[in-house]
Amino acid sequence: MENTLCVQSLCKRYRGFSLENVSFVLAPKRIMGLIGKNGAGKSTTLKSILNMVSIDSGSVKIFQKDFCRYEKECKQHIGVVFGGIDFYPLKKLSAITAVTRKFYTDWDQEQYRKYIKYFNLDEGKKFKELSNGMKVKYQLALALSHHAGLLILDEPTSGLDPVSREELLHIFRQIVKNENCSILFSTHITSDLDKCADTITYIHNGRVLKSADKETFLLSFEYLKTPEDTGALTLEEIMLRTERREWYDDAVV
Amino acid sequence: MMTLLYKEIRLAIHPTSIVFAFLGCLVLVPAYPYSVIFMFGCLAPYITFLNARETNDAWYTAILPVTKRESVLAKCLLIVSVQIFQLLFSVPFALLRNAFNIENNPVGLDATLAWYGFGLIVYSVFDLVFFPSFYKNGYKAGKAFISASIPMAVLMVGLESVAQIPGFAWLDSCKPKDLMMQLPVFFVGIICYLTFLSLAYRISVKYFDRVDL
Repeated sequence: MENTLCVQSLCKRYRGFSLENVSFVLAPKRIMGLIGKNGAGKSTTLKSILNMVSIDSGSVKIFQKDFCRYEKECKQHIGVVFGGIDFYPLKKLSAITAVTRKFYTDWDQEQYRKYIKYFNLDEGKKFKELSNGMKVKYQLALALSHHAGLLILDEPTSGLDPVSREELLHIFRQIVKNENCSILFSTHITSDLDKCADTITYIHNGRVLKSADKETFLLSFEYLKTPEDTGALTLEEIMLRTERREWYDDAVV
Repeated sequence: MMTLLYKEIRLAIHPTSIVFAFLGCLVLVPAYPYSVIFMFGCLAPYITFLNARETNDAWYTAILPVTKRESVLAKCLLIVSVQIFQLLFSVPFALLRNAFNIENNPVGLDATLAWYGFGLIVYSVFDLVFFPSFYKNGYKAGKAFISASIPMAVLMVGLESVAQIPGFAWLDSCKPKDLMMQLPVFFVGIICYLTFLSLAYRISVKYFDRVDL
């Protein structure tokens, strides 16, 4: 089956930080978790995919189309959610929706109504009046109402309480199950991915350390196990032990 | 193109900019430096860009099926609409002033054809400096406004002074013969506005392509 998203050798250099040869693929109807500590390059990767930052080299293909060349066409089929960013805080949801729907050729007002009801959103409210969880749900409703085949979510669960996080993860699973949709989901809360991700891509200091389906991913970090570990390592333990090794290496230097 | 403009008007524009667009009516005030009206037309982009920055408009636009080039085009369309609307809105008031036989404006230039021509020149120069200066980084609206305000202020002083120079009295007159003489100034204004705006748009697109959001 053709991949939904194919990122190849993405490079972006900043002063003091660079994204080096980031490559991974996302298959249809799968949830990929993009993990890494703060500043590892997760958001830069997502913004590079979306052409929000100008990349130095590399390519992004969405639905087998070169994103840079067919940006508008590709964007018709993707939905993006940025956790923690307030868009037009003083505008009512109805105003934001009225504008957004005009940009999408496949906008489905019935589907939008369905999700607004399902997420219990009040369109008469201003964006800033929504809780963090509701803001993410509203952005999801917009994304799903134009039948996006790929959802790109940047830290959607950050700053949410455990109940809201659990609810959102359930929604993600439902979306992948019911809609013809894949999700690329960046987070540093690895426990979220234990529950819902099919594939994991670990970004460490701007490079992809490993990108594989969850089982293979967990197996590939077996070397981090200590004699005290009886079961498989969790994603959090993998991340912590990988990052800790670097602190010790730095301390030795 | 209309969708982009619709988005700007419903989400990005600051309400004050809309008020400024209606200030073309100030040409009815008997004694007033009418070049200040152009200053309001230059404040409108500054306030709107500031508002857009604070409401994460560029980010939102980036996730819509819109390219960076179109994102710049949207802002240019909005500002052109505000500035041109302001000038067009002032026309009936300028005519009303003549109909009422209100005396010549003692402060500065009257709302003559030359005044409209100069107005378009002020807007062209302001926009040519403001847009590229803002899109160099995508967020420094204040710096862009200060840079563009300097030529704007010089031009404003220049055009108000013209009315005080006896040799240029024809620029301050609404007599048919003088209006005919002012026509070239008006056309120069239109040409300036079209060319400078298109140049400002092209340079801004080039700069904004390199900006990382």
